[in-house]
Amino acid sequence: MADLLGAFEQAVLLAIWNLAGQAYGRAILRGTQAALDRQAAAGAVYATLDRLEQKGLVTSRVETGTPVRSGRARRYYQLTAVGVKALNESKSALEQMWRGAKWPLESPA
Amino acid sequence: MSHDAPPRWLEKLLLQCLPVRNRESISGDLLEEYRQVQVPRLGPMRANLWYLRQLISFLVAGTFGGSNMRASLTWISVLTALAGVWLAVMEHLLKHPGYAARSAIAAYIVIQGLATVLFLVWHGHPILRFLVQAGAVSVVVLGASAIIRIVNAAHFEGFVLIIGAALIVQGLMALVVVSGARPPNAIAA
Repeated sequence: MADLLGAFEQAVLLAIWNLAGQAYGRAILRGTQAALDRQAAAGAVYATLDRLEQKGLVTSRVETGTPVRSGRARRYYQLTAVGVKALNESKSALEQMWRGAKWPLESPA
Repeated sequence: MSHDAPPRWLEKLLLQCLPVRNRESISGDLLEEYRQVQVPRLGPMRANLWYLRQLISFLVAGTFGGSNMRASLTWISVLTALAGVWLAVMEHLLKHPGYAARSAIAAYIVIQGLATVLFLVWHGHPILRFLVQAGAVSVVVLGASAIIRIVNAAHFEGFVLIIGAALIVQGLMALVVVSGARPPNAIAA
């Protein structure tokens, strides 16, 4: 099994998955914040995207920008087969780890 | 001042913190968010603060992610400049013997830190480049001599050690970055 993904990486990958072809930086940032239910620093999200791309879990393509962004290009991200597999494995591993444990855990008396 | 875009100096500083490959897309994302969401919601002044917060997050990510030496250099230059201000203020308050000379050194540290940031933002004016290069060598020497002096001193002062080490790192990084400097943007509208 490949290295497990961290929670933040999973949130970013899930945001890309949910955006289905419309996943560019700003939308991914919002999707990540929604998945984590908290504010996420833009720098952290973009750094994670870079790292995921280097690992081959996502690919990106550049498209022409719109006037509201002064024509600056948008970079769209998409999960690779490796990325989908890594997400699936991370979820399976988490479920495997919790199997047999009665949830929620109770604090010791 | 136009409220249609963040201050130019902030945008230029942001571009310094971004890898070349992503400069256009990330600065475009932030500009889009600034215009469509932050200015209507917060007003121009607080929207600029929001933009500054984003910039800091890229500085932090670039520094601790280890991927962007320019971001790290910007960060450490700002910190040494602040340390210089603090040293100068303390010297003036305490007025120990020889404080005037030490205040001058503190002022020099501030100037070198700010000059490095200016070089990174406005990039490549030949005079500024020369000043930053020469200053980089001098702060390495200054940092090393401060460390040697504090190691041999009767009273150990940890903050001098930290600032001395920071100056050496800043100087060495500045030499590397300045020698391989490229224009920060071809896209700033």
